[in-house]
Amino acid sequence: MSSLLSISNLQVHFNIRAGTARAVDGLDLELAPGEKLGLVGESGSGKTTTALAVMRMIRPPGVIVDGSSIRLDDRQLLDLSENEMRQVRGRDIAMVPQAAMNALNPVRRIGDQIRDGLVDHGVRESRSANYDRMVTLLDQVGLGENVLGLYPHELSGGMKQRVTIAMAISHRPRLILADEPTSALDVVVQRQVMETLEEVRTAIGAAVILVGHDMGLMAQFADRIGVMYAGKMVELAPVQQIFADPAHPYTRLLISSLPDTAGKRPLQGIPGLPPSLLAIPPGCPFMQRCPDAMDLCAVEKPTLMGDARKVSCHLHTTESLAVN
Amino acid sequence: MRAGDSPGDAATALELRNVSQVFSSGPFWNRSENVAVNDVSFKLSSNPSLITAVAGESGSGKTTLGRIMLGFQRPTLGEVVYRGEDVARMRSAERKQFRREVQAIFQDPYSVFNPFYKVDHIFMMAIKRFGLASSSEESRHLMEEAISAVGLRPAETLGRYPHQLSGGQRQRVMVARSLLLKPKVIIADEPVSMVDASLRATILETLRSLNHELGIAILYITHDLTTAYQVADNILIMYLGHVVEAGEVERVINDPRHPYTQLLVQSIPMPDPNRRWADARSRGESPYAGEAIRAGICPFVNRCPDAMVECTDALPDSYRVDAYRISRCFLHRESGMTESREISSYFRLPD
Repeated sequence: MSSLLSISNLQVHFNIRAGTARAVDGLDLELAPGEKLGLVGESGSGKTTTALAVMRMIRPPGVIVDGSSIRLDDRQLLDLSENEMRQVRGRDIAMVPQAAMNALNPVRRIGDQIRDGLVDHGVRESRSANYDRMVTLLDQVGLGENVLGLYPHELSGGMKQRVTIAMAISHRPRLILADEPTSALDVVVQRQVMETLEEVRTAIGAAVILVGHDMGLMAQFADRIGVMYAGKMVELAPVQQIFADPAHPYTRLLISSLPDTAGKRPLQGIPGLPPSLLAIPPGCPFMQRCPDAMDLCAVEKPTLMGDARKVSCHLHTTESLAVN
Repeated sequence: MRAGDSPGDAATALELRNVSQVFSSGPFWNRSENVAVNDVSFKLSSNPSLITAVAGESGSGKTTLGRIMLGFQRPTLGEVVYRGEDVARMRSAERKQFRREVQAIFQDPYSVFNPFYKVDHIFMMAIKRFGLASSSEESRHLMEEAISAVGLRPAETLGRYPHQLSGGQRQRVMVARSLLLKPKVIIADEPVSMVDASLRATILETLRSLNHELGIAILYITHDLTTAYQVADNILIMYLGHVVEAGEVERVINDPRHPYTQLLVQSIPMPDPNRRWADARSRGESPYAGEAIRAGICPFVNRCPDAMVECTDALPDSYRVDAYRISRCFLHRESGMTESREISSYFRLPD
């Protein structure tokens, strides 16, 4: 199956006074149509920057370095003019933001804000057709018609996030980027919002990249999980494998640090800190914290290898991954 | 000791007696009242010292409960008692002792620091305020001791500015600062919700060891039931100001009885792709600011899948579901009412 999105050698650098921070440092990723990918990593691992790069919303001092490639179908997004890219945003690729309260304009009614998004992308229709379309959109995310006349402050957090989902699906995009869409919500509402996202995603057949650090949420939602560390993809595998048999030592430690409710046990974190993005060491970026580090790790950068399951670690070869 | 026995009054550290907190807003002709905490009584005991979790969604009153216990907020009704003294009436010497022995750790490890001062400042303020050291060597020694106790290296921590430390390190610095004061009680309000997953475990393990090794009683306020389960001995589940279920954490989380607790537990995103969310039994969200709930009825009735007629007539009492658990739901009326209003008398104490 051909890919919907293919990213290769993506590099995003932030040129600041202290030097060049390599926020995304050579990332490769293929996404199939309709696929649900979870992108996880700790703060500063480059997961949000990757999502922003796909939307071409990196602002100075950040730059997407020459030689990077982001293709949607056969279009090279990095070659599009700003006007062409505007048409891609919202229509082909939509974003569900992290903080719905900041994404909505506080002084305009919800209906007007949804209409703006429609008109911006060339929807021209009668008032009544437009109204019906908005009611249908809200209905898809489980909200009533009355919400159109309300202001954002009159909605709860979960309702606001539903509105942003309705806006995101209004052009039936093929790719939805959701950056921690539920991190500000309570567990019950979080679950309801994620279920809504899954329903509308199925209805329009879109692929989703869910960015976040909550491994529980990823286990509930994703088909495949990409684990990022210091601007690199260190493991990319089907969700079952990530949890049952993580291959990269970082993924393994991350999974074992998660609390569950099946018996009390000592909680183990991952000692140490990720390297500064201004001075990523020459070898493996995880080496300092890795319990399995070898001499080779200090000098040679591992590359992402494998087919269905990809790992960037000297402990593994393409053959050993295929056997597992 | 058995459940129902009072866990040694002499050792009682911090106690809430029939505490209610009402926030009112709006002009006098159209006043709206929001009951953040509704008639809660419980003890944080120092012997044996326990970790008690308070869980619930935003707006459930869990943070207000913590602020009342810290003496930051004077309750509308009821009293906070520390070592037998009403906190609101303490004289300055007693109040100072209370301030020293009851410490707080907050959610945001960024905003508690003044960015212009080195990390040392936050320790020095405490040392000066409470006169803990008579020389600079002595205070240095105290700081190093506290920092080592939370698993940080003093040489890599002292002398640094807050922005040079990670969120997890700053949060552990805050734990170290409380530790410096040799507290009897720590109230930790969402201490790990802004910290990366890989560092959460370390901070929670630190809290657990403070409890086990130093006997510090801990109130762990959180919305995350999995960490509450791992860390706490007993738990209170709050919903719109009411403690709807409470008791031993193992029972409450692995066999929840109150319909709200059941909904909460079903909604936990388990880090296991083979245990995906089962069908939710309740839709809808809790009423939010501006949409008042009627007083004197079950606060969960409008979302409850098991709602009955009487739920809209009266507020259920607390019923004793089993040896170490109470539930505020008419479904458990058969079990009989609790004898004591004080929730912690139904807690399970360590063997």
